[in-house]
Amino acid sequence: MGESKKIAVRAENIYKSFGSLEVLKGITLEAKEGDVISLIGSSGSGKSTFLRCINLLEVPTSGEIIVGDEHIRLKKNRKGKLVPADRKQVDLMRTKLAMVFQHFNLWSHMTVLENIIEAPVHVLKKNKQEAKDRGMALLEKVGIADRYHYFPAQLSGGQQQRAAIARALAMDPQVLLFDEPTSALDPELVGEVLKVMKDLVKEGRTMVMATHEMGFAREVSSHVIFLDKGIIEDEGAPSYIFGKPESERCRMFLSNLV
Amino acid sequence: MFDLEGYGHLLLEGGLLTLKVGLFSMVIALSLGLIAALFKLSKIWILGFTAGLYTTVIRGIPELVLILLVYYGGPTLIQDFAAMLGRDIYVDLNPFFAGSMTIGFIYGAFATEVFRGAFMAVSRGQLEAARACGMSPLLSFRRIQMPQMWRFAIPGLGNIWMVLIKATALISVIQLPELMRNADVAARATRKPFSCFFMASLIYLLITILSLVFQQWAEKRANRGVRRE
Repeated sequence: MGESKKIAVRAENIYKSFGSLEVLKGITLEAKEGDVISLIGSSGSGKSTFLRCINLLEVPTSGEIIVGDEHIRLKKNRKGKLVPADRKQVDLMRTKLAMVFQHFNLWSHMTVLENIIEAPVHVLKKNKQEAKDRGMALLEKVGIADRYHYFPAQLSGGQQQRAAIARALAMDPQVLLFDEPTSALDPELVGEVLKVMKDLVKEGRTMVMATHEMGFAREVSSHVIFLDKGIIEDEGAPSYIFGKPESERCRMFLSNLV
Repeated sequence: MFDLEGYGHLLLEGGLLTLKVGLFSMVIALSLGLIAALFKLSKIWILGFTAGLYTTVIRGIPELVLILLVYYGGPTLIQDFAAMLGRDIYVDLNPFFAGSMTIGFIYGAFATEVFRGAFMAVSRGQLEAARACGMSPLLSFRRIQMPQMWRFAIPGLGNIWMVLIKATALISVIQLPELMRNADVAARATRKPFSCFFMASLIYLLITILSLVFQQWAEKRANRGVRRE
């Protein structure tokens, strides 16, 4: 079971340094179609940076990214830093890996529906009316169809994040990347966003998420990765990680949360 | 006391020309400011240096000096240069163009800093969201960065416009019959300097007050969706 599934995204041996600070020290992640992978670990463990390396919002110091069966070509610039060799390939790759941010990052000068159709119309060159119809259907799905003409600032955090998820879905991505999607929300708004994410898991979406929601990670993940100081300290099925992980640090981290 | 002895129309015509010079200068200032701001923000060394040189030199010289330098100095420089090459030519600058180009050139340097600050004020997350869904840098600039930048630029640009419209009075020194020049002509002819200059003041004030109304409208529009109403 599972072996025949296709690889959706693979990040191999990712290293990332900011100046002399080494944030990631050789991380490998492979998500097959339908996988739900959670990255857990304390703040500063490198979860977000790693997630941002997958869609090249941060270019790794070294390592490889493969999306589907396509290798993302990187080259060294004059200063010896890795940069994308083909910007068009990166832009195309990003349309397949939609990202949901901690701070939503909805475009503040556009209404909710305009946010959702922006990239489908201008990047994917879809017909505007079709994009609108599809956008409304997605808003229906995340439960804020009645707010389609609101500006982001007029919505609660939970509604903004649900709109941001709809914006990501509008790209029909192969993989959804979630960068701590509930960390900026008031506690009473976390539930509504997790509910939407749970629906996506049920649909069989491929998801990679950095999260602090341990209960959620345990419930929905197919694989959990515990990051500590830029390395994979332990990983495995949720029952293993949340049961009896070998790593002492992992046990410490989880017991400190309760 | 306010009998302008038939010179009222001269002031109105002057006011109209002042508005024309102002608008023309402002278009030049905005264009130059936008270009120079992008130069300054670019990673290309020579572009940043050129824009830096422009803003430093221009902002450091009084407007009046530059206007005289361009209008009187420009033609003689060209004539002297032509004479060196053995040619005898006569160059005469149109005061409207010379004046408004110079004013536009000067205020473009101030607009550069306003635009630069406005571009930097657009939050990183807004641009990352654009890149993350596959927008090219150009598309992200056009669809996200430019529309959001105005919100931060308009207050500063409104300020520049106010100063600029008043600076057009300096163009009177090169005989352009704008409001200041015509007020001066009327004052001498009627020997009623108070009435004439007072009337000119009112016209300047009218222009700036109308500008403020326009600015408030533009600000409200640019802030659409950002500020709760």
